[in-house]
Amino acid sequence: MAVRKAKKQLRVCRECHRVVDGEACVICGTSNLSEDWAGYLVIIDPEHSEIAKKMKITMAGRYALKVR
Amino acid sequence: MTEYDNKIYAIKTTAKQERTVADNVIKAIEGQKDIRVVAVIVPEELKGYVLVESPDSLARMEQLVELIPHARAVVRGATALSEVEHFLVPKPVVSGITEGTIVEIIAGPFKGEKAVVKRIDTGKEEITVELYESMVPIPITVRGDSVRVVERSEEAA
Repeated sequence: MAVRKAKKQLRVCRECHRVVDGEACVICGTSNLSEDWAGYLVIIDPEHSEIAKKMKITMAGRYALKVR
Repeated sequence: MTEYDNKIYAIKTTAKQERTVADNVIKAIEGQKDIRVVAVIVPEELKGYVLVESPDSLARMEQLVELIPHARAVVRGATALSEVEHFLVPKPVVSGITEGTIVEIIAGPFKGEKAVVKRIDTGKEEITVELYESMVPIPITVRGDSVRVVERSEEAA
């Protein structure tokens, strides 16, 4: 059986709930990140999305619904 | 009537690949203008499905599914945001647990033990329990999602 590489645990900014790739949130500039989060939300076109409006999101990107 | 005429479609996915599908939706709609998708929701509670917000028709969504690995089918019919907006505001895991509730610990060193809830911290989503079968009462604080409710206390009923 092939050994599968463990999937990298993505981290989420505690301030803006944005899914972050590096060590700090690009938008907030904080390094207050959390690995414990649930629910995933992808906003592609915030101007035409009712969901984005509901969540008060103005920037496209990947977000977590719940961050601990 | 809403400001935008967007509909919500549910796409069935391979189990545990919901997040992958959501990421692939972005890749699939990049570089083509036929299919418009404005947002994708992957609720934690809804296993095996992702919700797609789009102004397009169901046939377009079927085209989209063809382009995405791990996406299996579109559920027939569309819904409105009001039907799914409760997924956007996750309820705290400790809701439904009150003091006196008998729970079973499902994670950690005390996995499988039954315990009585003594205190609830809604902010941290932690609960303090005392093991049912232990001789001396030792309070243990565990995360709200590492317990399963066995029996609710009488006041809650």
